[in-house]
Amino acid sequence: MKKKRGISRRKFLIGSAAGGATLLAGSYLRPNSWAAKPKAPEAVKLTPTLCDGCGNWCAINVYTKGDRVWKAEGNLIAGNNVGRICAKGHALLHEAYNPDRIKSPLKRVGPNKFEPISWEQAFKEIGEKTRQISEKHGPESLFWLHYPEGNAALAQRFMTALGSPNVFSHGSTCFLPRNIGWWLTTGSSKPEHDFENTRFMLFIGRNPAAGLQLRQLKDMAAGRDRGARMVVVDPRFSEAASMGHQWIRIRPGTDLALMLAIAHVMIKEGTYQKDFVEKYTQGFEEFASQVEQYTPEWAEEKTSIPRDTIVNLAREMAAAAPRAVIHRGYHGAMGTQYKNSLQLVRAVACVNGLLGNFNQLGGLFEPPKVKLGSLDKERFPAPPKVDGPMVDGSTDPERYPLTPKGHGLTHAIPELAIEGKLKAGFVYHNNPLRTNPNPARVIEGYKKLELLVSFDYVLSETASVAHYILPESYYLERDDVVHSNHCYKSKQVAIRQAVIKPLYDTKPLFHILREMAPHLGIGKYFTCTLDEYNEALLAPLGVTLERLKKEGLIDLGGEWKPGEPKFSTPSEKLEFVSSTLRDLNLPAMPAWEEPLVVPNRTDPHSFRLIHGKQAHQTHARTVNQSYLKEITLVNDLGRVWIHPDRAKALNVRDGDCMTISSSVGKGRARARVTDGIHPECVFLPSGYGVFSRNLKTGFGYGISYNDFLPTYFEPVLGHTMSGEIIVRIEKT
Amino acid sequence: MPRYGIAIDTTKCIGCHSCRVACQNQQGLEYNQSFNWIKEKERGKFPSFAKEFVPLQCNQCENAPCQRVCPTGAIYTSPEGVVLVHKERCVGCKYCIEACPYKVRTVDHHEGIVVKCWFCIDLVRAGGEPACVTTCPTQVRIFGDLDDPGSRISRFIATHRAEPLRPDLGTRPRIFYKRS
Repeated sequence: MKKKRGISRRKFLIGSAAGGATLLAGSYLRPNSWAAKPKAPEAVKLTPTLCDGCGNWCAINVYTKGDRVWKAEGNLIAGNNVGRICAKGHALLHEAYNPDRIKSPLKRVGPNKFEPISWEQAFKEIGEKTRQISEKHGPESLFWLHYPEGNAALAQRFMTALGSPNVFSHGSTCFLPRNIGWWLTTGSSKPEHDFENTRFMLFIGRNPAAGLQLRQLKDMAAGRDRGARMVVVDPRFSEAASMGHQWIRIRPGTDLALMLAIAHVMIKEGTYQKDFVEKYTQGFEEFASQVEQYTPEWAEEKTSIPRDTIVNLAREMAAAAPRAVIHRGYHGAMGTQYKNSLQLVRAVACVNGLLGNFNQLGGLFEPPKVKLGSLDKERFPAPPKVDGPMVDGSTDPERYPLTPKGHGLTHAIPELAIEGKLKAGFVYHNNPLRTNPNPARVIEGYKKLELLVSFDYVLSETASVAHYILPESYYLERDDVVHSNHCYKSKQVAIRQAVIKPLYDTKPLFHILREMAPHLGIGKYFTCTLDEYNEALLAPLGVTLERLKKEGLIDLGGEWKPGEPKFSTPSEKLEFVSSTLRDLNLPAMPAWEEPLVVPNRTDPHSFRLIHGKQAHQTHARTVNQSYLKEITLVNDLGRVWIHPDRAKALNVRDGDCMTISSSVGKGRARARVTDGIHPECVFLPSGYGVFSRNLKTGFGYGISYNDFLPTYFEPVLGHTMSGEIIVRIEKT
Repeated sequence: MPRYGIAIDTTKCIGCHSCRVACQNQQGLEYNQSFNWIKEKERGKFPSFAKEFVPLQCNQCENAPCQRVCPTGAIYTSPEGVVLVHKERCVGCKYCIEACPYKVRTVDHHEGIVVKCWFCIDLVRAGGEPACVTTCPTQVRIFGDLDDPGSRISRFIATHRAEPLRPDLGTRPRIFYKRS
């Protein structure tokens, strides 16, 4: 160590940042605003746990100062966040101290009037009501709805014990076609990308820089540093585009046409990976003759992308194959946004097939899976299986045969409640009143329920109309079940655990279910403790619960290596022609399908409304957080994007207020006039538009796309088609 | 003694604001106080339209205008070249805010003083890196010793000819930007 002017580095060492060691706070800055001002230095403790900011459940190490939460750092080995945390992950630490948190179980005694009750009373009354409803209308009239799905196994056990098949996720408003399309084509619903080693990455209707996936972002940046080309196809200049080499502006809802034309070019020019196609795919000949008609000229007409750009894109990709990859998609064009989304996912999977990138370096791969154990059935009897389709028709061969149980169609719940088919519901951390289309209809539906139990930590829109609110301990205050979704290239297992003691009279979900079960007559299925449950899950892995709690996340090895591709489809090949779809008499091959609605091109007021996430918000879930809202306010991020030419025609200038209306709703928003958007659409950032007065930070700011979206059910899967919105825009 | 600096690759920044909140937590700032900003810059017309996110924080200038105008001498430079504010000496007159060409200083209304980014020097002295550096999903920032020609930051600056903001002002900042 160098010494200068008599000051050694050692003298400046304040403490050690190592886990559990004592660290003094910086001396000249004011200490943590929400921490009590420390007179003496407080002990700093590190607890590994899982974030709850979105569905990724990133592994984080949370530091506490004394008994208060201080900050968090990412777990360096965690497959899905590799040491990183997003703004939401940092900001949500503060929510533990949100003064508006629910402090004990509540019973609604009038419109927006709540009375604190004891857990015992809540369980007793919920138990009685549920049993009455179940006896009168059958257990099929009960449902469970959750997001995120980390505790799905518990929910399934609970509902199965009650005799109901109705467990819903947020899937039909998010990712449903993506999962089904990939599963139909390759047998795997969520392949991963080896962006680090790729030479060409294409993002189509997907923006991982705002619908954050931290691992993917890190790898995209690394791949780009190593010289990979990054092309982003999007109606707007997305955050991913700002990182990319090329932005291709596409007419919203026409991504399918682009994919088909790329397939056309690659097949016509013979640049696809012939060995791969011959060995590992089925139906190539039929597919080739099908895409014959989809010329780049035809696609130019549909997508508004110049023919040469399409041809060049296909050539560049083919030249980099098999180290070229098209992103598997999420909630964007490949999610629940368009009528043709399922076909688009199939087309993207097929073009990845033409690139021959499956299980290849720089291509797509199936992440290694951890096989968790299960409870010993002798000691802890499992409830009898509930057969048959869900009440919304999911898995019903006559209705939505491909929509899986455990996901269902969440936006069918209000309709079914109005029809009287659903009578009682348990909503776990989901907020359908804000996140489902056409809120007026959703409110009407949920209000029809005879019993609505909400598990939440604040009075969200949904909690505000619930009969009972059971406050689950905040994620920093609770122990949860073992989690295995962190696998990226290797097998990993992780656990959420309490960082601080519960501040109020709240309980973790496991305890709530265990204590409520006897009142519902299903106590015998909930006799084990959380530790016993977790030990059973960990048993096959050779990992003790004690070690997992100490380390938070354990890597079990089994690293992915490039090799022979394997497909778990009926033909055990990549299916250009889907045998499952053919058996169901559905279009078995990707073919062009028009979007459901199109804006009137001759009307200067007519636009398609597109929407998407911002990196610092998880839809409606985080908009009530003051640190995150401040980011929105400081950067004025609640505005609606509009193209300068279209804005000029409406006499709208940057910052002006616009009135936006559709067949179901009306709202006002300020304009952000930018060249970074397709002239035929406007872009509305998702998440804002909180209408529960009990969410004091978020209330009254912005609007939500759901306000303008009619209730649609896509014919094959039944999803929301949330991009099929035509709005009329006027200067206010 | 190392001379610390940060190199910022704006071509990788996605404007997620993770640096901002990581910093707020590390330093115990309230929601409306920040040491980090991201400016969104659009340029050109379609089809050559482009957008850039430029992260901003205290540039730790070697020739710091804030230091020169401070009437109480509260602003000083640490041995590692980090510009610091002496809490007891600062009277909150805000001259430094006016003098700063990068507009990255902020008022702490509780203490009545001016505060700003200080490269998380407590973390750095303990062997770590600033919070904004470690949390960044795309690793936009490189932190290190500008005096060590072999350090990652020095090599990055040399390879990409990274430049500080407004070098013409003669402030000699220690934050270097790669912008294209």
